Amino acid sequence: MSGSIGFAPNHDEAARQAFVGSLKGYINFALEGQLQRLFDEKLVPEQETQQPGSVATRADGEALLADHPLYNLWETLTFHSQNMMWDAVADTADRTMDAQIAAFEDILANPRTGGQLTLQDRLVVKAPISTTEIHRQPGGYWRETRRHDLAAGLNYAGTVDLYRNAKGMGTGGKVGSDSIGQLLAGVARKYAPDLDPKTILDMGCGTGEQTLAYKRVFPEAKVTGIDCARPLVRYAHGYAQSEGVEIDFAEMDAGNTDFADESFDLIVSIIMFHETTQAQVRDILRESWRLVRPGGMVLHLDVPYQPHRMPLFKQVTNHWQVRNNGEPFWTGFAEMDMKDELVAAGFDPEGTFANYETAGPATFYFFGGRKEAAK
Amino acid sequence: MSGPEADTSSGFPSGPKPGPRDTTFFDDPLKDGLIRAVVTLATELSVTRERMRSLELLLREAGVMSADAIDRLALETAEEQARAEERRRLIEDLIGPIASRLG
Repeated sequence: MSGSIGFAPNHDEAARQAFVGSLKGYINFALEGQLQRLFDEKLVPEQETQQPGSVATRADGEALLADHPLYNLWETLTFHSQNMMWDAVADTADRTMDAQIAAFEDILANPRTGGQLTLQDRLVVKAPISTTEIHRQPGGYWRETRRHDLAAGLNYAGTVDLYRNAKGMGTGGKVGSDSIGQLLAGVARKYAPDLDPKTILDMGCGTGEQTLAYKRVFPEAKVTGIDCARPLVRYAHGYAQSEGVEIDFAEMDAGNTDFADESFDLIVSIIMFHETTQAQVRDILRESWRLVRPGGMVLHLDVPYQPHRMPLFKQVTNHWQVRNNGEPFWTGFAEMDMKDELVAAGFDPEGTFANYETAGPATFYFFGGRKEAAK
Repeated sequence: MSGPEADTSSGFPSGPKPGPRDTTFFDDPLKDGLIRAVVTLATELSVTRERMRSLELLLREAGVMSADAIDRLALETAEEQARAEERRRLIEDLIGPIASRLG
């Protein structure tokens, strides 16, 4: 056995990545907070004094801020810090790539658990993932340049906790942390204390760190992770094998899987829906209901940015991320009424939920439902 | 859209078309460039400071340093917190004065 799969910065790379995290935290809280006070306490009152009722919509707010130099400063730093983040993690990914691929090939030859990896003959990734650099990740989630390429997975794994913590959506986790998966598993126990899942499906599992949490919390369960991005699935398999956690991973479209009806007791996802189109949200919800067993539960977690919860200022800055920073579907998802969507996808209205749950500084949106047990 | 195909020249999946990396937001793009240059410089200053601090820490504690000792260094929580505070202060020093004049 030689080598393991994982994002492993050296001293200076870790310091550079930590600085980018601190910079993003400053931009998201101190600078954006200053901008919000300017908007709420000066710009809006002045405009409303001149023209009552003229700042009512997100477009009104955008027009009010567009040429203000403090807003321009926030824009340029938000954009630049995203470039810096990808540059910083690429240093580590590029330096370690040969060793990582060698470790992956060793895992293929000498599996460390019974977990299987299934890749398709043809790419299953489709628009918008296929056409968009989500989060502005260079090469997106599916570019490959060599055999057994892990670059997209390494780059993603290196940023996910940095990004979440700087947005106030993390739980303090470091690279490789399964803290969001642990949070979701805790909510599953809270919502369905009688459910002892024997089969769990993690949709849009990405690099798989959170998938490991479900096997750790439910060790008797057979856990499967799927994602449409091949390098991420490959990384997830290598990472789980390296951690000695038995999970099956497959390259698969969550809206059109190969599984038989009613295959899983618990179906979960973490921040997948806001990265895709409304049409695919509906496909994935229908597929979730098809796959869940009677007595089982579907439990999806996503961002809590629904407009009715957001002040006008935050609607403006969030929509800026949609237009400029690789979050093209954030607004589309946030504007959907998920309870209505669940029912439209076939979920039993009685067992359907769409709730907000808070963990430390972070709040997440949980939606899904239970399928009535067979009588 | 039909599914993407492998880049026939390399034989590997080509990924999405690259997005913009140089978008600017001020009336004069030079302002964006100057601000970004300062931030990038600050990053490297921070990295250098951290390396120095690690070196000094190792020298204080062990007196002898092997070639890979810094890369194997594991920080105590208090040290991590001190570094986070230094990073925050540097960012505040660089951007705070500019931001305070703008609104």
